[in-house]
Amino acid sequence: MPKIVPGNLQPGMKTAKPVVNTSGMVLLGENTELTPELIDRIRNMEVDGVYIQGLSKPSVPVEAALSGLERRFRLVGGEPHMDIIRKAVRKHIEGLYE
Amino acid sequence: MNSMDVRVVREKIEHINALPTIPKVLNRLLAVIENPRVSLNEISSFISSDPALTTKVLRMVNSPVYGFPGRISSVNQAVILLGLTVVKGLLLGVSVFELMQKTMIGLWEHSIGTALFSRLIALRTGHKEPDEVSVDGLLHDIGKVFLVLQFPDEYQKALTLTQEDGIIIHEAEKSCFNTTHASVGSWMARKWRFPSKLTDVIEYHHKPHLTKSTPAESAIVHIADILVRARGFGFPGDDLITPVQPQAWELLGLTEKDILEILKEAEESLQITEDLTL
Repeated sequence: MPKIVPGNLQPGMKTAKPVVNTSGMVLLGENTELTPELIDRIRNMEVDGVYIQGLSKPSVPVEAALSGLERRFRLVGGEPHMDIIRKAVRKHIEGLYE
Repeated sequence: MNSMDVRVVREKIEHINALPTIPKVLNRLLAVIENPRVSLNEISSFISSDPALTTKVLRMVNSPVYGFPGRISSVNQAVILLGLTVVKGLLLGVSVFELMQKTMIGLWEHSIGTALFSRLIALRTGHKEPDEVSVDGLLHDIGKVFLVLQFPDEYQKALTLTQEDGIIIHEAEKSCFNTTHASVGSWMARKWRFPSKLTDVIEYHHKPHLTKSTPAESAIVHIADILVRARGFGFPGDDLITPVQPQAWELLGLTEKDILEILKEAEESLQITEDLTL
């Protein structure tokens, strides 16, 4: 769930959490689709960032994520069914970076 | 290292409520839960009488770990929608939340991740009570909290042992305490009269093929535990994956495609729950 600065908001994005200004006042509810008018309004209020629905990219590089995965599986190579789980998790992690 | 006598461990663990670090709310809550005839109304007024507890429960039931994100606004509604067993478990979960955060960094994330995966696996395999299974996942490692609280120095040694010897925490616990968090959790779950299925899953989540009463639930939490570790979310005491118990795997009949879809479904919720503090 990425937090986006008001300058980078685009129409069509949906809020994942209520939008609050710096004093904590709620300006918009969650699950609201942003329109150009709403984005203008958010930019004119003191809002430091907006949580948007969707996935944020992981903060570690893909190579590190995959080598971490292999390290975690190091005791179970050759155990029944573990290859299926490892393959699925590997595909999933690679998918997070696409 | 000399390991402790399991009778001494048990004796000390069973008197854990006397520790000053145990929150008052937990002791009051246990008094309510221990009563097998407690009604929905009593539970509901117990929660409502404590504003901090109310906030925590509402935050939890509205989190993506449960099926009603952002839609439950009152304790009464939560109790009616989720039912007594789930609410009892949730209350235990939110009351040990601070303990978990203080005792082992990453254990809360591991627990909430396991709750989420348990629910998703339960839904996919057609289990009738996915929210109950989710609570089983949330509390499966509660024995670790008791061990850390009662034996902080010894548990630190166990954690060091996982690093030095490259073993899982379960093994390290055996060599330090002659028992494991699964047994410790089940002693306390029985003493405090947790719901019986929950007690069983706590005891058998590492050996789900041995339970008679919760084969499906124990298998689900067992696999959820592995998936959360595989995904690299949270920290349960070591960073290793243990083999899946073959009978548990076959019982659920999950395919590679199922696992991949479960991981996808979980991902956004994991990112939201990463900031879920109670």
